[in-house]
Amino acid sequence: MSTAATEQQTPPPRPARIRFRLGALGPLLALLLLMILGAALNGNFLTVANMANIVARASFIGIIAIGATFVITSGGIDLSVGSMAAFIAGMIIIIVNSLVPSLGAGWGSVGIGIAAGLVIGLIGGAANGALVTIGRIEPFIVTLGSLGIFRALITFLANGGTLNLNFQASDTYSPLYSGSLLWIPVPIVIFVLVAIVAEVAMRRTTFGRHIAAIGSNEQVARYSAIKVDRVRLTTYALQGLLVGLAAVLYVPKFGSANSSTAVLWELQAIAAVIIGGTTLRGGFGRIWGTVVGVIILELIGNILNLQNLISPYLNQAFQGAIIIIAVLLQRSRRTTA
Amino acid sequence: MHLFKTTALSAVVAGSVLLAGAAIAQDKTYTIGVSVPTADHGWTGGVDFFAQQAVDRLQKAYPNLKFVLATAPDSTKQAADLEDMVTTRNIDGLVILPGDPDAMTASIKKVKDAGKWVTVVDRALSQPGIPDLYVAGDNPGLGKTTAEYFKQAMPNGGNIVVLRGLPIPIDKQRVDAFMAGIEGTNIKVLDQQFANWNRDDGYKVMQDFLTKYPNIDAVWAQDDDILVGALKAAKEAGRDDKMWFVGGAGMNQIIKMVEAGSKQVPVDVSYNPNMVATAIDLTALHFVANAQVDGTMIINSTLITKDNAAQFDYPNTPF
Amino acid sequence: MPIEAGTQAPPVLAANRISKSFGEIPVLFSVDFDVRAGEVHAIIGENGAGKSTLIKILSGFEQPTSGTIAYDGRVVTLPPNGEAEALGIVLIHQEFNLAEHLRVVDSIFLGREIARGGIMDLGQMRERARELLQTLHVDVDPNARIDTLSVADKQMVEIAKAISRDARVLIMDEPTAVLSLGETETLFEQIHRLTARGVAIVFISHKLDEVMRIADRVTVLRDGQLIATVEARDLTPDSAARMMVGRELHNLYPPKHEPDVDAPRVLSVRHLSAPGIRDVSFDLRKGEILGFAGLVGSGRTAVAEAIVGLRHRTSGEIEVNGRVAHFASVAQSLAAGIAYMTKDRKGKGLLTNMGLRPNLTLLTLRRHLRGVFLDTGSETRALERAVRRFDIRARDASVRAGQLSGGNQQKLMLGKTMESEPAIIIMDEPTRGIDVGTKQQIYHIIAALAAEGKSIILISSELQEVIGLSHRVLVMRFGRIVGELVGDQISEEQIVRHQMGIEGKAA
Repeated sequence: MSTAATEQQTPPPRPARIRFRLGALGPLLALLLLMILGAALNGNFLTVANMANIVARASFIGIIAIGATFVITSGGIDLSVGSMAAFIAGMIIIIVNSLVPSLGAGWGSVGIGIAAGLVIGLIGGAANGALVTIGRIEPFIVTLGSLGIFRALITFLANGGTLNLNFQASDTYSPLYSGSLLWIPVPIVIFVLVAIVAEVAMRRTTFGRHIAAIGSNEQVARYSAIKVDRVRLTTYALQGLLVGLAAVLYVPKFGSANSSTAVLWELQAIAAVIIGGTTLRGGFGRIWGTVVGVIILELIGNILNLQNLISPYLNQAFQGAIIIIAVLLQRSRRTTA
Repeated sequence: MHLFKTTALSAVVAGSVLLAGAAIAQDKTYTIGVSVPTADHGWTGGVDFFAQQAVDRLQKAYPNLKFVLATAPDSTKQAADLEDMVTTRNIDGLVILPGDPDAMTASIKKVKDAGKWVTVVDRALSQPGIPDLYVAGDNPGLGKTTAEYFKQAMPNGGNIVVLRGLPIPIDKQRVDAFMAGIEGTNIKVLDQQFANWNRDDGYKVMQDFLTKYPNIDAVWAQDDDILVGALKAAKEAGRDDKMWFVGGAGMNQIIKMVEAGSKQVPVDVSYNPNMVATAIDLTALHFVANAQVDGTMIINSTLITKDNAAQFDYPNTPF
Repeated sequence: MPIEAGTQAPPVLAANRISKSFGEIPVLFSVDFDVRAGEVHAIIGENGAGKSTLIKILSGFEQPTSGTIAYDGRVVTLPPNGEAEALGIVLIHQEFNLAEHLRVVDSIFLGREIARGGIMDLGQMRERARELLQTLHVDVDPNARIDTLSVADKQMVEIAKAISRDARVLIMDEPTAVLSLGETETLFEQIHRLTARGVAIVFISHKLDEVMRIADRVTVLRDGQLIATVEARDLTPDSAARMMVGRELHNLYPPKHEPDVDAPRVLSVRHLSAPGIRDVSFDLRKGEILGFAGLVGSGRTAVAEAIVGLRHRTSGEIEVNGRVAHFASVAQSLAAGIAYMTKDRKGKGLLTNMGLRPNLTLLTLRRHLRGVFLDTGSETRALERAVRRFDIRARDASVRAGQLSGGNQQKLMLGKTMESEPAIIIMDEPTRGIDVGTKQQIYHIIAALAAEGKSIILISSELQEVIGLSHRVLVMRFGRIVGELVGDQISEEQIVRHQMGIEGKAA
């Protein structure tokens, strides 16, 4: 190091080092290890049909988890997503059933039901967001409250039992779940589209930058001319909309909704977000990580069902261990490499 | 009164409830507490529905009976409900379906020690001798009845998979009895996994079983909610016509399939949530008619076939 | 105030030929350092000279790559993570290590609670804390919560905590950076009391006048090398500055260009009142540097925040270019060409866990849009420009803002502010905690901006800086403007008289 006259020369910043990239690959590494494990345990694991099963199953929680990535990146949390999904599914069924006598069981009724589902999601999410931003209540408390409210509402609407979609309407509606677009199941197509749009929004729009800034330091964001409340409210509204979308895709799966629909999805979604490398306290988020996280969670269940080595009584222990390992993989990569 | 056809005894009992109601002078008022789990899946949903229905009906029939109905999502809340019932609502009798019987035993014993009438429904407490009346569902019976059907339907044996409920004692009683029932036959259980009494998990587990095993002849889904998910998975895989399914509980949607002579779901095995209504009826009878109703009453799990399905098709049930 | 006994005594704590590298980057080269009982030993040097690393090694927070530490003449390996406190070596960090939600008494005894059988003896702890604070002449309620205290009081609590730990060596990282003159005096009194009791003090400061007043010996570091350890009385500001930067430091302040008295008024504040300020009126002309002097807490930051819409305005008018303009948010004030640069770099200015690029463009993201998408290429070019213009030095492009030295953080913030091309810039303590070389750069930037026709409000607690740069100085006291000084009137004495309330409202 020279001692004199360093003042005048500014060394040009060197490009970012490789280690950050390696750290970023943590969730992919965990995914790869699970794939190897699955392939070793069962010959049918790597079949197209099984992979399609996994991704299709992952798509519901996946779409919700993408919304959760925005909320968590901005420093918030939404615990109500599972209950909200069940509630919206119930509302769609009630609305479609009530329209069938007048509009018939065609796309008219189903279309209105779908639109209503999306709108209810948007409103529900915005209500959460308004309570957090305007009401100045901790998001954990707000959404814990709405978790209970939505869960009770679906139980009430179903009179403690199960709401069933009108049989003919069910036929109209079912392609949205079981249909294919270019041989790819519809839920997967929508999941992928949502993920791509969200990834771009996160990385390449002012919205994405602003939510990261707010999650990183709300004061700095406020001093940097960011409309903090509006952005945070938007994240919750977006989350609600995506919950609505997930519910729209879920209804044709069984044509029914009851109080056990979408139970604990919120924890799965949050776990997927964190496994994907988004920081729980906010400030940094990545959508593709969340997508990988959701698939990892779904893979764990799949592998457990496909193997015969681990007693079913130990399923949850295995799940827990994999989740911790997946997060550890990123941690050690980030600090050592 | 088809509500009570599950056993001959209950039909008799129900008849006497109405008789007694007309005959007895109604000067003293009684309060009966009813504590049931929150509707967290279809079956408990049915419990809540039938409990509410029984309460409404009895309150109308007997002006001197008051009911306090509480639903609880977990044992902590259920225990607190009991304390409230005893201290603030001053109940004379309690009808309880304990969510977790082991955890609730101590709380129920306290109610009993306070001199109240106690009716326990479905799940046995960890300590004997507490309830005045125990209206029990027959969990081993469900497994046994199902096993008998499998034996009869697969005389030469075959490959089956089992979708279990949650890892709790009821589930184990059912599965153990089932396994004992098919012992010595050529029926081979390829695999068993928990599907948590839930449609989504039934779907997932079945999907994976279909991936894992190319030849499945029959499926035992331990509950009708699981069955709905499993059916959907098999149908999507285009393999639903190569196997048949048996569920359990008597969910209306499944009863209708059995009634219609479905090939995929030829039978169901009853484990009906309306046993809670029977328990409430009997308890009411104890107060208004001073009838002798104590002891243990086991409600059999019977095989529901195309022929008798109509008896299990209750109108307006949400279950 | 050298203490003779101190200078003769053997060293309590000594570092011998200490070197330290982080990864491949060396930060200290074979440095010798020692401190004796009852002595104040100051460490000075530019940012990045290795001062912080040296004191972290002296207190066990970092281990040297080579070299040894001797405590009481014996070579030791200091335990990590502040456990050296148990040996009597206490480091007071620049960012205080106080849990903001705890009470004063809990903080002082944190980790060393007085307890009997696991039950804390709160009464005794409170009593001991009160005694301790009294001996320090600190008027703080032991039951007050840390986050309700002023910065100066927090510092005193840190010192009380150190004393309660029977510190034999007290190491302070820039203790006066956030203190007003009066508070600095109080701190120095405490230091004298401590040295009289035989405590050895090591402290880092950027303020040369303080160093020469309080220190017995001064060690100068530059680029990780030991330049010299000298008796403080042999040091002059010139020689110190020369040793620190390795070159002559003429003209710390650029020459003031003549203010244009006919230049249009760009900002007029009339009878502005807001929480913390009352009836504040002043004008700002195009190309003018208007200094705001006053003690910490006198309301200068409140004025700035009320103007840009960060603080609720209760009454009064603000005119920008002759038109009434009241801003409800930073976005609005920015659109009108007024930018505020906070003094709280890490708390309000920069996203410390993010890289340089997102920090630089946070205010002005809209300029880097292509359609609805951010153009990262355009952002990178903006960063390259800012790096050149403001001489921001980072190890590489992946560095996060929080890892930059204070001076470079300040330059990054300056870059971020200037990205919005404001006509009026309010700079709040723009050189706090920055080495003299970087200060000089920032002074020249400020003067250049004014010469370009930008108008600048300079809030600073460093009188020399206000005097050296401002065309005009307003002095605040208790939320009001109590004096205005122009031209030759601007002197340290005048400002101090105003801010102490000795002079009435002038002119």
